[in-house]
Amino acid sequence: MRGEAIVELEGVWKVYRMGRRRRIEVEALRGVYLRVERGEFLAVMGPSGSGKSTLLHLMGCLDRPTRGRVLFEGEDISSMRPATLARIRNRRVGFVFQSFNLAPTLTALGNVELPMIFAGVPRGERLRRARELLARVGLRERERHLPNELSGGEQQRVAIARALVNSPDLLLADEPTGNLDTETGREVLSLISGAHGGGVTVVVVTHDPEVAAAAVRALRIRDGRIVGGTDG
Amino acid sequence: MVDLARIAVRGLLHRKKRSWLTIIGILIGITAVVALVSLGESMQLAVRRSFEELGYDVVMILPGELGGGFGGPSSFSTSFELDVDALSTVEGVGEIGLLNFQSVYVKADGTEGVIDALGVSDNIFSFFKVEIVAGRGFRPGERGVAILGQEIAGELGLGAGDTLQIEDRPFNVVGIYSADSRLDEDAIILPLVDLQELLGTQGVTMVLVRVAPGYDVGRTAERIEAFLYRSRGRRDLSVQTMEEVHEVVQRALGILGAFLGGIAGIALVVGGIGVMNTMYTAVLERTREIGVMKAVGARSSQIAVIFLLESGLMGLAGGALGTGLGSLLNFAAVTAAKRALGARVLEYGISWWLVLGAMGFSFLVGAIAGLLPARAAAKLDPVEALRYE
Repeated sequence: MRGEAIVELEGVWKVYRMGRRRRIEVEALRGVYLRVERGEFLAVMGPSGSGKSTLLHLMGCLDRPTRGRVLFEGEDISSMRPATLARIRNRRVGFVFQSFNLAPTLTALGNVELPMIFAGVPRGERLRRARELLARVGLRERERHLPNELSGGEQQRVAIARALVNSPDLLLADEPTGNLDTETGREVLSLISGAHGGGVTVVVVTHDPEVAAAAVRALRIRDGRIVGGTDG
Repeated sequence: MVDLARIAVRGLLHRKKRSWLTIIGILIGITAVVALVSLGESMQLAVRRSFEELGYDVVMILPGELGGGFGGPSSFSTSFELDVDALSTVEGVGEIGLLNFQSVYVKADGTEGVIDALGVSDNIFSFFKVEIVAGRGFRPGERGVAILGQEIAGELGLGAGDTLQIEDRPFNVVGIYSADSRLDEDAIILPLVDLQELLGTQGVTMVLVRVAPGYDVGRTAERIEAFLYRSRGRRDLSVQTMEEVHEVVQRALGILGAFLGGIAGIALVVGGIGVMNTMYTAVLERTREIGVMKAVGARSSQIAVIFLLESGLMGLAGGALGTGLGSLLNFAAVTAAKRALGARVLEYGISWWLVLGAMGFSFLVGAIAGLLPARAAAKLDPVEALRYE
């Protein structure tokens, strides 16, 4: 029995124009079909340059396909206005990046607040929820610290708190353990697993087998195409 | 909005040195604008007050064309003769005051020299007040007397009751006057008839006419003009109402103010370019952060607002500090002018509209300068921004 899809990719191509005059075309994705069901924990594995990140960006409504369709809860994101896409990213999707990507000028608390600021959540409510999420990732004591005062693992935990603070349906993680040592990586991974346990659909892009092992389903991507998968 | 402002402030504080340097750029411009504009205001205020003192019902008759060389010293010392009795028959003409402004040779107690002398008709002090600080003023019909300016009295070592030689004729110093400005305190006031006798002339250099109550000042001035042309057969004298003179002076001050303001404005434009430069750098530097903000759901408009607020706040900070510094400079200038020239040539005054205007304008300069950088930030593609190193 097939569950309800949260994101579907139908024959998706993504071609980037690079270089000084945007003359160099890079085909990041070449006809990808993919269906992510609600409540899934999916790992997408592949070498660097295989199009993993692009896949994640498309699933998270951060980018639109060059060809093909990306359906977010059944709706084609190509036909959505930028403000609608921003709203989906804000309320329905949480991103975690390999390089943490915290705003360097904001404290841990400020970073976790950020998505709620853009959502227009009142300050009192924002602080309450941000502290709650920081407590969940074990950083309640570090809320006044700026990113450069935090270790890599701590930064990634702040990023996870930030990704989860608006209670998204979909958590997208791009090499979340890539910049961390094994032990710290495991901690981060368990937080992501915890989110999945709490009902969030998770897609992790990685080349770390340990991360893939934590997932329920794993796919392989190479040269912009899905080349195979395993279940469990 | 408040929360976006908080993010903007964080951004500014994060690069304190650059923010301050940029703010200083705006500060210099606004300081110049405020200092110069308020100085102009001070001047206009002082001018208005001195005209009010003289009264707007007064018409001046001066040699020369109206407007041509107004205020030049030569027009004050070119003398002309005028049939005062005939002038007084012109409709609307009330009291007539006569002035002759010349240089005379003065000798007293071993010092001697040429000084400015003002010959006045008996009634002249009903046109303008002179403050007698020692002794007394003239009595009607009195001859052979003089009132000295405080400054020149000090230089000559004379006080009320002393005598001095003017063009080899003895005069009694009956009083000492002080004036608004020290510049005007180095003259000597004599009865007009005495000065005319000394110089062997019947002439005057300026006639003041008070328009009789109930008559229109402008119309009376026109009638005087017509009378002068009829009786003299040429237009060698000009008739000016105080209002006209005031207007000319105000216009001149206005042009001066606009000119200085324009120069100051250039400084402000340079400041604005500084803001733009800083903001472009900030956008470039924070490309990745912008990407992150977009990834967590910031709309392009929210990104734009953050950067606009940053640049606007820099403008506002520069504006607030510049307004303070500018009014301080104005205060210093007015104080210095008072000390150097005495009394109340200038009045310190800064209007609330200048303060609000300067602050609002500086915020605007900041925001406008930030417009293009903010647009650039808002338009960034999130994926490319995230990839930016």
